[in-house]
Amino acid sequence: MTTATERDAIGRIWNWRITAFCCAILFLVAVAAVSFGPISISFTQVFKTLFNLPGHSTGIDRTVILQLRLPRVILGILVGSSLATSGAVYQTVFHNPLADPYLLGAASGAGLGATIALTSTHHDLAGALPVFAFIGGVLAVAASFLISGKFFADPNTLLLSGIAVGSFATATQTYLQQRHSAELRPVYSWILGDLTSANWGVVKWSAIYIALALAILIRISKQLDGLLLSDEEAYSLGINPKRLRMIAVAAATLATATAVSASGLIGFVGIVVPHLVRGITHRVTNRSLPTIAVVGATFLVLADLGARTLLSPAELPIGVITAFVGAPFFLFVLRNRRKASA
Amino acid sequence: MSEGFRLKRILAPALAVFLIAGALSVPGANAATTNPRPTRIISLSPSATEILFAIGAGPQVIAVDDNSDYPADAPMSKLSSFTPNVEAIAAYNPDLVVIQSSATGAANVIENLKKLNINVFVEVTPNNINDAYNEFVALGTATGHPSRAKALVASMKSQISEIIAKYRKKTPISIYHELDNTPYSADSTSFIGQMYSDFNVTNIADAASSADSGGYPELTSELVVKANPQIIFLDDAVYGESEATLAKRPGWSSIIAIKTHHVVALPADIPDRWGPRIVDFYRLVGKAISTVN
Repeated sequence: MTTATERDAIGRIWNWRITAFCCAILFLVAVAAVSFGPISISFTQVFKTLFNLPGHSTGIDRTVILQLRLPRVILGILVGSSLATSGAVYQTVFHNPLADPYLLGAASGAGLGATIALTSTHHDLAGALPVFAFIGGVLAVAASFLISGKFFADPNTLLLSGIAVGSFATATQTYLQQRHSAELRPVYSWILGDLTSANWGVVKWSAIYIALALAILIRISKQLDGLLLSDEEAYSLGINPKRLRMIAVAAATLATATAVSASGLIGFVGIVVPHLVRGITHRVTNRSLPTIAVVGATFLVLADLGARTLLSPAELPIGVITAFVGAPFFLFVLRNRRKASA
Repeated sequence: MSEGFRLKRILAPALAVFLIAGALSVPGANAATTNPRPTRIISLSPSATEILFAIGAGPQVIAVDDNSDYPADAPMSKLSSFTPNVEAIAAYNPDLVVIQSSATGAANVIENLKKLNINVFVEVTPNNINDAYNEFVALGTATGHPSRAKALVASMKSQISEIIAKYRKKTPISIYHELDNTPYSADSTSFIGQMYSDFNVTNIADAASSADSGGYPELTSELVVKANPQIIFLDDAVYGESEATLAKRPGWSSIIAIKTHHVVALPADIPDRWGPRIVDFYRLVGKAISTVN
């Protein structure tokens, strides 16, 4: 039981109405995203079909909505929430506003895994690309951990070993690419990242890992605020910072590796979204994690909508949109924050 | 780096076979069993477009991709052959879609088209001219023109043997086929390299081929200068390379082909497609090498 004063105190740390508001926006954006595409289907038809109301679409329209567009929007939600949440957690863990989900080599490792799958002489391995990318990402982060010494004594050492492992993986990947020039195009298109591979199969397996990782992160979000302090202060609050960092990074890596293996490397979401939420609400607490997840999802669904409609029927790589829209917006928020603190 | 150059880098290796996944290699001939004569065909392959029009299936074609610029009356659309968009394809309400197995996410696109009950003909990049002939016949069967397709193949075969008989070298000459200014080339195992080989030539790219290069090895300037080819075919002429630009590369002015002005600018697309214009390519190469002794 929380008392009224306790609830009041929590309310001052984080206002849950913001989260509810963001959820409502996400819902609207998602329905809008399912409504737009080369085949025009009215908003009301989409709504009826999504919720199986009387008068829903049949035939091709129904397949387009439920088999082509919906899985893509849901994958966007999963990937966006993973990248944004992981980014926020990494920033807290490393006390570094520039930390992103790819910091410890998850992206380069996944890239190497994907390249190995694509350039392998066993052509059927390409079908196992997501598995290779996932394993590559997890192995790279694990290697960063092992090299930096156990128990995560010093976040900066881990950060540096992450950079070293990442560079090594990228170098290996480039070497493989140059040797197998015929496979350059699929490798590059994977690196640029997109959600075109979305189908219910991909959505299902990635939902399992991402839901698990996000549940862990949101559950420990209150303790994560302890990491914003020094280790000594964290201990005094009854938090074991080393253990907490391990759990946080492991869960964030699981989410990132899954996102990367499902959609390739989509940049900028992990940096922009957490700062956006913190900048607008002027709160640094990790209680904002669920909101960051929801805003990340909204951002990516919108970016994907742009990616597939701006040059339709051609598609822009989604990373182009996230950076093109994200970067100026991000600068705007940074500027405002500087003004506010000045 | 110019747009054209980058495209070339991407296109040239794309000629090499990449069977993306086992699941992908759906035999094209079985694709359209439900409708022997489709009437709303979309071609997402410039080669297939040329073949379809040559075998008389042109009137059934309702849209072709944004690179299918031949023949001129092909209904070019904004559809992409490299990154096919399922929904944009479905918006045309086609009954047969020809798609390259090398397209981005081909497996996924094919699966989704099938969900929409659209027949798909999967075009696997041919390794040699016989593979290409097989595709002609398979496309003929899938579109209801099997006899026209077989007749076309027979006519191409006879024309090509005539050309070879006329121009084949008694003693081999050395040739260099340049894909781009890296320089990437095509060796004798590649589709285009096999066509050169029919004329009894020595391909200098063979010295650089390896198991990994897939028929399209990367050469070095040193290797080209040392091999000293007697004739050079520029597949990158459309991207600005010419005898003049080659002569300016360090050391290249000493190459016999350049000294004797045997540098042939290849026309756009013909050497990169496996359509009916293969005959034109044979004729062009035959005439060119006939001037070299």
